[in-house]
Amino acid sequence: MRVTKGAWLVAGTALLALTVAACGSGAPAGGGEGGDTPVRMEIGEPKNQLVPGLTTEAEGAEVLGALFEPLVKYTKDRQAEPNVAESVASDDNKTWTIKLNQGWTWHDGEPLTAQNYVDAWNWAAYKPNAASAAHFFQMVEGFEDVNPSEEGAQPAAKTMKGLEAVDDLTIRVRLTRPNSQFRLMLGYTAFYPLPAKAFDSNGKITQKYMQQPIGMGLFKMDKPYRKGTDQVIDLSVYEGFKGDKPKNWKQLEFRIYSGQSAAETAYNDLQAENIDVHDSIPSSQLISAQTALGDRYHDDPTSLISYIGFPITANPAFAKPEVRKAISMAIDRKTIAEQVFSGARSPADDFISPAVDGYRPGACTEACSYDPAKAKELYAQAGGPPRIDLGYNADGGHKEWMEAVANNLRANLGIQVQLKPEEKFGVILTALEKHEYKGAFRIAWLYDYPSMENYLTPMFGKAAAKGGSNYSGWTNDQFDELINKGNEARTPAQAIKFYQQADDLLLKDMPYVPVFFHRINWGHSTRIRNVELNMLDQVVWAKVEKADAA
Amino acid sequence: MGRYAIRRLLQAVPVLLGSTLLIFLIVFALPGDPIVSLGGDRRPSPSVVEVLTEQYHLDEPLLVQYWHYIGGVLFRADLGSTYQGVPVADLLASTFQVTLRLTLMALAIEAVVGVGLGVWAALRRGKAVDTMILAATLVLVSVPTLVTGFVLQLVLGVKLKQWTGLDVFPVSGVGDGLRGYILPAFVLAGLSIAYLARLARTSLAEVLRADYIRTAVAKGMPRGRVITRHALRNALIPVVTYLGADVGTLMGGAVITEGIFNLPGLGNLLFRGVYERQQPVVVGVVTLLVLVYIVCNLIVDMLYAVLDPRIRYE
Repeated sequence: MRVTKGAWLVAGTALLALTVAACGSGAPAGGGEGGDTPVRMEIGEPKNQLVPGLTTEAEGAEVLGALFEPLVKYTKDRQAEPNVAESVASDDNKTWTIKLNQGWTWHDGEPLTAQNYVDAWNWAAYKPNAASAAHFFQMVEGFEDVNPSEEGAQPAAKTMKGLEAVDDLTIRVRLTRPNSQFRLMLGYTAFYPLPAKAFDSNGKITQKYMQQPIGMGLFKMDKPYRKGTDQVIDLSVYEGFKGDKPKNWKQLEFRIYSGQSAAETAYNDLQAENIDVHDSIPSSQLISAQTALGDRYHDDPTSLISYIGFPITANPAFAKPEVRKAISMAIDRKTIAEQVFSGARSPADDFISPAVDGYRPGACTEACSYDPAKAKELYAQAGGPPRIDLGYNADGGHKEWMEAVANNLRANLGIQVQLKPEEKFGVILTALEKHEYKGAFRIAWLYDYPSMENYLTPMFGKAAAKGGSNYSGWTNDQFDELINKGNEARTPAQAIKFYQQADDLLLKDMPYVPVFFHRINWGHSTRIRNVELNMLDQVVWAKVEKADAA
Repeated sequence: MGRYAIRRLLQAVPVLLGSTLLIFLIVFALPGDPIVSLGGDRRPSPSVVEVLTEQYHLDEPLLVQYWHYIGGVLFRADLGSTYQGVPVADLLASTFQVTLRLTLMALAIEAVVGVGLGVWAALRRGKAVDTMILAATLVLVSVPTLVTGFVLQLVLGVKLKQWTGLDVFPVSGVGDGLRGYILPAFVLAGLSIAYLARLARTSLAEVLRADYIRTAVAKGMPRGRVITRHALRNALIPVVTYLGADVGTLMGGAVITEGIFNLPGLGNLLFRGVYERQQPVVVGVVTLLVLVYIVCNLIVDMLYAVLDPRIRYE
């Protein structure tokens, strides 16, 4: 029977293929105790391990927001109210005393102490840990000792001297200079505490902790999350949690979508009710989502603003404010927002996002309105360059609107505009830093903490022009002075007055041109209701109710 | 044959070394600093860049960097880690399983459907069935994976569930076990089904005209035996070659399919690796794919000998 041997081999291989394929398939996702299907939310892959100090992007922050509870919470009217903290107080905006509420515990039952905060913040600030949130602590006294700014310099200390646990429930923070916005910052991811268990004997965070962080928030992690491998992060309600808990459900599951079409795929999953919350509905689906989801479709302002920036110090052609103003007036923001983004963005009319206190609608009336005739006249008078480059990163879906802007400038100013797509935004930033890039460029900013000041100092402050995010190189002593006055102000309302005066200087000089305010387009399934997002665009889980749990 | 196999495997060593160096060079040449890219639109602070650049030897010359990498692989069996500290070996192990399942399922589908259609068409040559199969495969070849993927996902994953309430095909992910692989495997197999059907049809049609088939028929052998024993066995040689080579293509070419169906496989890992400029990840994935190619080619060559006794290896 020699003839059949070959056929057997082929058949056998195929069979083997099927068996290998069949065995070792992944266990079904989720499915908590008692048939309680979890509430499921789409997220992108967290960029870093799940440690507060390492997390400065939205996806990881969403997960950490479920595992941890912030010291202060942002209210609907954009103020910080005490949460885990009983009070956050200061007489001079320089020395801050944070008193913790009694009775908060970690997921393993250990009490939450002031020392946990001090440890976590010192870890994040310590240079060799390379924590991306380190800069949040640079206003704390002693930051330069643990994170010296010169290249190659080794830290002289492991802890900041401005940080102290006075007793079990009191943290004292001394800042290098007064900062009225400090209370607002405390609600951000970087200021979450870490338990003593997180650290090994050398003060490093253990691998075990990074995979299964113990938090002190509403949810605890049921099993380790191996970054890059696992597709779900399973959480369940921590019974010892002191704050509000969801009424009729206990399991939460984050489903990770990665790859080039993640948002589209997740949108299909939302339609099939395989996930319950999707907070990044792709702009290609916005129109259909409004009809398909009905009142389950939501559209909220976010803190993200898109600008067109100019390397003012590197290229004298952009030095005159009139040139930049003319470019601003030649851009038809409204039409682009409607045509390209189906209303997912709105025309910007301030350097400050509508998401924070201090935003003034229409602050940028003249320079941000569309007036081609005046733009042309102004541009010609100021002697603007006949040819400009317009740089953007090709990986972020910016091509369409940058082309629209380029067409606006060509048609309305009668100049040549060359689009310069770059592989990544980092390429443009590096070139800007070396003063090699001479063209205009797109740039965007979203806040770290909901304060108006966060739109001013990091991008336009003098200190940020060297090694910071001030890529235009525009500086103004009066501007810095006003910011300082705001930082020293006694009340938030007074601070805002000074910041708005600083904002007025920007509006006069237009170092950047604000183009769009971004909006977050999100939806949820029929299985849940009462879904809302907080100021950090994270779902308020305690309010969410399951619709079908009768 | 054993000595032949060993010799072939030894030849693979320089190929693997060469390919790692080549990929290393290519990833190195990509624009942008990988550490700066970590922050996305927001630039990481200079001290973070400084510490990580030093930690991952990114400030050293290219060849020194390569030496750090290849030395780790050869002497410590360490495939390096991502810039977030996740070991590449762990990533490869988990994603390889996913891609292997997907590939084998796709391979089984294309072998059964593709060869089946091809044989059917060859036996009914010139008839309506033949024309229909040829037309259908032509359509299949001309539609890109991106389209078939999203259409099948929308129709069978979303709409079917909305209309009937039955959750037959999961839209995405591997959470539902093997069920989640069915749609992507079909999408992945689509193109090859078409090629295979056409290949099997031509090859079988040619063999059916050969003298020895006429002899077999003339001596009164039943038609079924003539086709399975005499005709198919010979006609299958090019088909097996194609299937073998396709394993490598399927594994490496699943980037789009894995993206659409959100499968955490090699393709997805490679995409993210290139996007984030994670040198050790890209080198690891590509080297693994090269290895798969080499092994598959070897198996195909061995199978020739089984299918055709005239072929012998020394």
